[in-house]
Amino acid sequence: MSFTPEIYIQAKALTKQVQLTDSTLTILQHIDLTINRGDSVAIVGASGSGKSTLLGILAGLDTATSGEVYLAGQPLHALDDDARAELRARQVGFVFQSFLLLPSLSALENVTLPAELAGIKNATQRGRELLALVGLTERADFYPSQMSGGEQQRVAIARAFITKPAILFADEPSANLDETTGAKIEDLLFELNAQQGTTLVLVTHNPALAKRCAKQATMQAGHLTMAVAEVTSVA
Amino acid sequence: MWPNVAWRLFWRELKRGELWVIAFALCLAVFTVVSLSGITESVRSALAQRSANFIAADKILRSSLPFNEAIFEKAATLQVKSAKQMQFSTMVFAGDEMQLVSVKAVSASYPLRGKLTLRQHEAVDAPIVPTFSQGEVFLEPRLLQLLQIKAGDMIEVGVSQLKVAGVIAEEPDAPLSVFGNAPRLLMHVDDVAATEVVQPGSRIGYRYQFAGSDALLTQLETEVKSLLTLHDRWQKLDRESAVGSALDRAEKFLLLAGLLGIVLAACAAAVAASQYSQRHAMSVAVIKALGVTTATARKIYASHLSLVTLLSVSIGLALGQFASSSAQWAIVNWLGDYQAEFSSRPLWLGLLTAVICAGLFSARPIWRLAAVPALNVLRQRQQEWQFDIWHLATGAVAVWLLMWLFSGDLWLSAWLFLLCVAFAALLLGMAAVIVKVAKPMSAGQSSALRLALANLRRRLWPNSFQLITFSLALFLTLLLYFLRAELIGQWQQQVPVGAANQFLVNITEAEKPQISALLTKNQLTAGNYYPMISGRVLSVNNETLTEPDAENSDKAESENRDTANRDTAERKKGEQQADQTGTAANAETAERRRGIGRELNLTWLSQMPANNEVVKGQWFVDGGKAEVSVEVELAERLDLAIGDTIGFSVGGQQFSAKVSSFRKVDWNSLQPNFFMILSPDLMATFPATYLTAFYLPPAQQPLLNQLARQFPTVSVLSVDNILKQINDIIAQVSLALTVILALVFAAAVLVLVAQVQATLEQRQQELAILRTLGAKTVFLRRAVLAEFAALGLMAGVFATVLAEILLAVLQVRLFELPFSLHWNLWWIGPGLGMLLITGLGYLLLRKLLIVDAPTLLRRALQ
Repeated sequence: MSFTPEIYIQAKALTKQVQLTDSTLTILQHIDLTINRGDSVAIVGASGSGKSTLLGILAGLDTATSGEVYLAGQPLHALDDDARAELRARQVGFVFQSFLLLPSLSALENVTLPAELAGIKNATQRGRELLALVGLTERADFYPSQMSGGEQQRVAIARAFITKPAILFADEPSANLDETTGAKIEDLLFELNAQQGTTLVLVTHNPALAKRCAKQATMQAGHLTMAVAEVTSVA
Repeated sequence: MWPNVAWRLFWRELKRGELWVIAFALCLAVFTVVSLSGITESVRSALAQRSANFIAADKILRSSLPFNEAIFEKAATLQVKSAKQMQFSTMVFAGDEMQLVSVKAVSASYPLRGKLTLRQHEAVDAPIVPTFSQGEVFLEPRLLQLLQIKAGDMIEVGVSQLKVAGVIAEEPDAPLSVFGNAPRLLMHVDDVAATEVVQPGSRIGYRYQFAGSDALLTQLETEVKSLLTLHDRWQKLDRESAVGSALDRAEKFLLLAGLLGIVLAACAAAVAASQYSQRHAMSVAVIKALGVTTATARKIYASHLSLVTLLSVSIGLALGQFASSSAQWAIVNWLGDYQAEFSSRPLWLGLLTAVICAGLFSARPIWRLAAVPALNVLRQRQQEWQFDIWHLATGAVAVWLLMWLFSGDLWLSAWLFLLCVAFAALLLGMAAVIVKVAKPMSAGQSSALRLALANLRRRLWPNSFQLITFSLALFLTLLLYFLRAELIGQWQQQVPVGAANQFLVNITEAEKPQISALLTKNQLTAGNYYPMISGRVLSVNNETLTEPDAENSDKAESENRDTANRDTAERKKGEQQADQTGTAANAETAERRRGIGRELNLTWLSQMPANNEVVKGQWFVDGGKAEVSVEVELAERLDLAIGDTIGFSVGGQQFSAKVSSFRKVDWNSLQPNFFMILSPDLMATFPATYLTAFYLPPAQQPLLNQLARQFPTVSVLSVDNILKQINDIIAQVSLALTVILALVFAAAVLVLVAQVQATLEQRQQELAILRTLGAKTVFLRRAVLAEFAALGLMAGVFATVLAEILLAVLQVRLFELPFSLHWNLWWIGPGLGMLLITGLGYLLLRKLLIVDAPTLLRRALQ
């Protein structure tokens, strides 16, 4: 497999199957996908269509049953759990549907956590800057239980950017929020993404949110259809 | 890097209380082990020292052969303190008076343990004589009256003239005989040779007395082994007296309570660790998604476990040592001359406990925690409770290891452990059945109850596990509560208020009414008058009993030790030691008959004494005809059968009696007890003296002097000190048992708290859903109360059944108490279970029940 510097993620013939008691369930079927550096791609689809599974595999959280995935030129399918974790630490940021902040840490500590784990210096200063960017300067010492859902998700977004990741994976980032707050979060996400020049892969069932991405890929019963012509897509 | 993050997370979680249950559980386990093993060691050591006082030494070697100086030299080399003691009976003369006395000749270092008080004359407040020298003798006060002499006079012992330097006021290894043995004369051992009393064939008991640490004494025993003959035997400490058996039972109770306390604390640690892992599963998934490897996640959470262990161990050790030192301080205060020794055993045992608890109970959940897949961040669900056979297995091994370490008794720990496992399996089965059958039962119930039952059913496995721990906690608490009550009850029964504390012996027929009159005049009541006469057993079924040479020494020794209680204890030991040394069969047979050819105190009664029980045969019908009732252990030793004939010799006359019954005698009762009771017809013509006992209140002590003056030949034996000692010990030990019960109860409560806390997260989610669906506070409260009440009731019933069974086994097997059913248990057990679990459950969930739906939802989503 040859890479051009523009290609950031490449998946080839990706298949994911789950063994049930007396049958095999195929979640992803023979998916090929290429995402370029700086792209923003929305993966849309109905519940159970396999979009989160695809996100998990692309982010190196899960492995495929067969096929190959390359992230930043690294063959994820050939790496073990720890190597994938190290790759995530260097390259990947996450925003989750239910925020997933550590309840025992303050907002600032949650933001700086990935930087500290990666041994990045000046984590606190950078954390404060990011909190300021997401409008939570005053909430730096608050604990998650003391914040609203929208505030928690803003903290999560700040956390996602602290290591200056090359790619950001967002899983239904506004699904747990009301419409107004959700919209603000989405704005913030796209704004920061643009500012930092990050590649964005976003999973959503919200067509409006998907449309804000440059490209949309639709998952349907384990198959992927890309809506943009320049991306190779095989169903 | 990760240490910074680990430290920050640890500190924050400690502040948030996340780690408190696990810390408290570990702390309690360490505290239980350190304090209980410390207290048990103090009690054991105090008992040993107290028993040592009874024999005036830590260890005694008894012999019928003259002292072997090489043995004393060995002791000196090992820096073991030693003293010589010779005991024999002889006649002493003072002018025209003569009297058979029991001589105790001792070296200057006597007594090695306990206190010898010598006074210049018989007055209670006479000046104390600090030491005694060669050429002096000290007499039992009544001997002065019998010989009609006073302090300062000379008496003849053999061919020597010795000066009566004073009286013996207190003798550590005094004879506690309630039978009329000869009065005591104390002299210097170096004066014995000059008296020429000791001749070949004389009955002399030689005692080598030693004092030192257990290790040195054991070494001494090993080193002098080659110097010993068949005539030498080691005497062990008296553990069969009333005091000994009370403390022995207390020690067993402490051991058992300690074991059970450890099981509970360990359970709490395991549950808390499990709960901790469950609560942190999502955090681990998050940090792993953020790029932390499994190994680093493991390091972070293992460091938390290590830090919390370190913290708990430090606190547990400090508190345990404090409790143990306080107990030691109390014992020192109580025993006065008790020398507390520092032992490091409780401390390293506590450390090992923490390592085992943390390693085997908590390491597995932490290991699994770090293995939580990062992918869980996308699955959006809480980690479900999972049955982890390895956690259970490592936990079980840990419990057993702890039990073994603590008790040092492989069989007891294995037995208790298997019992706990069997109970757990049984409970699991029963819980599963009950929770399943609850479904059809709930059909017609109110909605709150239906919801409660549905909750129980839905979480079948976690609930069954919860039910097991609840039941186990209640069961162990109930078990100890009832055992403690039982033990204390038995001890109090043994020494009831107003128990006879004075014995009068050697009362003639004519003196009986006079003594009764004197006592009545002083508002005192004499007990029964037991006739007594010295006799000898000559034969069994016409087979003459033979006496081994060693018997010679026993005669003298037994006269000095001949309380009914101690006599049996000593003889039992004699038998055990004979068995242990594996002497030839003939020697064993002779040993078994030892003591039977010598003089015995015989009595004759038509009514059986109150504290005796016929175990075979029948008590004398119509007063009996030429019959004898034999104490059952003596009968076993003599291989007697009902209907056998025993030949006696009393006052030169010989007669025989048929064995008509075997009696079980309570030797701890502090009442007159007899090995052989004859039917009155046999003894009608013999002149007898009588024995009686009465209770003398402390304020009326001067009456004893009046008794001694008015009836000079009657011996007064006071057991007041023994009674006081027993009562003191019972009070102290009862307090110790109560403290330990409280400790075990605290451990049980901790288990319950840990268990309820383990379900808090899930409950929070359920309550959020129910609240959102419109459930009112009252409804939720009722549902929660009903669920915990049902759990508590079930746990209480299981615990009651199990406690009753195990109580029966422990009563009979371990504590040698009579079997009895505990009716109170049947309402206390289920009631306590229901109240305690409902109360705790409600207290812990109270805050959740009053929170509004949005807050609950927000918390549930975090």
